[in-house]
Amino acid sequence: MPPTLVNVAVGALLGAALLGAAFDRRAVAVVLAAAALPDADAALSLLVRGATNVVLHNLFVPAIAGAVLYWETALREESWLRERYGWRGCRVAWVALSTYAVAGIGFDFFTLDAVNLLWPVHDRFYAVFGRLVYSTHEGVVQTYVEVGGHPLPLRSPGTTATYHVETWLNPTPGTRNPPGVERRVRIVEYGWQAVVVVAGAAALAFRFRGEK
Amino acid sequence: MPSPTVQLGFAVLVAAAVLGEYYDRRALGVVVVVLLLPELDTLTGWVLAGAHRALLHNLLLVAAASGLLYYDTRVRDQSWLRERYGDWGVRVAVAALFAHVFAHVLLDYAHLEGVNLFYPVVDAFYHLEGELYLSTDEGLVQTFVEFVDPQASGQVVDAGRTGTTENVHVDSPVDPENEGPDGRPERRFPVAVYGWQLYLIAVGLFTAGAKRLQGDPPGDR
Repeated sequence: MPPTLVNVAVGALLGAALLGAAFDRRAVAVVLAAAALPDADAALSLLVRGATNVVLHNLFVPAIAGAVLYWETALREESWLRERYGWRGCRVAWVALSTYAVAGIGFDFFTLDAVNLLWPVHDRFYAVFGRLVYSTHEGVVQTYVEVGGHPLPLRSPGTTATYHVETWLNPTPGTRNPPGVERRVRIVEYGWQAVVVVAGAAALAFRFRGEK
Repeated sequence: MPSPTVQLGFAVLVAAAVLGEYYDRRALGVVVVVLLLPELDTLTGWVLAGAHRALLHNLLLVAAASGLLYYDTRVRDQSWLRERYGDWGVRVAVAALFAHVFAHVLLDYAHLEGVNLFYPVVDAFYHLEGELYLSTDEGLVQTFVEFVDPQASGQVVDAGRTGTTENVHVDSPVDPENEGPDGRPERRFPVAVYGWQLYLIAVGLFTAGAKRLQGDPPGDR
């Protein structure tokens, strides 16, 4: 799991971009929480073996949530969400859902930590990693998609049985969680992540300026 | 530089976040132009050695532009920008400034040899590189700015200084460094390198797509 702070920063930008007229402190708080939520499966991995980047990092969680939300707000005769929170509530719910998927899961999917995208149907971690370059000598070179080896043509570090995503909550494979091991809370791993974090903070500060 | 595609992706995200309800196609057009313009200093690389990432990639230009914007919209009795383009114009100017700072200057700062941050006052390229973590063994560790032995390297603080316009050339397809096997210069146009660069492109596309699909709030909200 890459730093949760960066997930939250992307979530801040995405929330500020998509909330529109529903933008306020409470709405932003919900969206930021949605961006951080997938990383809660690291805590779950202390109880369930190999839950990190698996249980809340697969496509089915946002897909099912999206289906329920669509049924609730568009198909039901009387929508509880709309009754209670109106147009704003629906907008915040949809933006929070996209933030969960794009900033929470999506960001991790594009790092070598990888996510177990199709769990529990298909147990394998996948990562989008490589390069896409046009060279006057070699033409188009791309290494993101690699056919062969795994059902999905992407890089894979393994399955829940063979691969453990190291986190500060659970640094060793399995649920033993020995006390003497070094734990590392990664806050920012690279320069570009620092840029994303500062951009997210600056954008929110600008949008909230002048408010008490 | 991270390729313009990556900068564009991130710029759309940052600009849309700043624009909020002022987001529209024209606003996005302005942001894209402001984002791509600084690459003109790549062309000056033909006549002025080392100008790429110095001439138009520095913080002094940003400070000057911010100062001018602040003066016009806050200090003057009548703002030229607001007179002419209204609140929309002011917000678009801020969004373009944000996009330039974060998606262009700072993203380049974190890439390869970095940017010439304080050009032309101080001619030095800086590269943002490092990590920040909290460890049970080492405590809080940051490696962005390091304090090193002055006898070994001649500098006390290592803030990622890579050189000056004299000796730093940031490779680009217009002004390439490498030669292919046949002696012709090899021009490489990267679209994305690593996962995160493709991710920023994807998020920019997602943002623009989602903004298109979104309905307007009802009048009686």
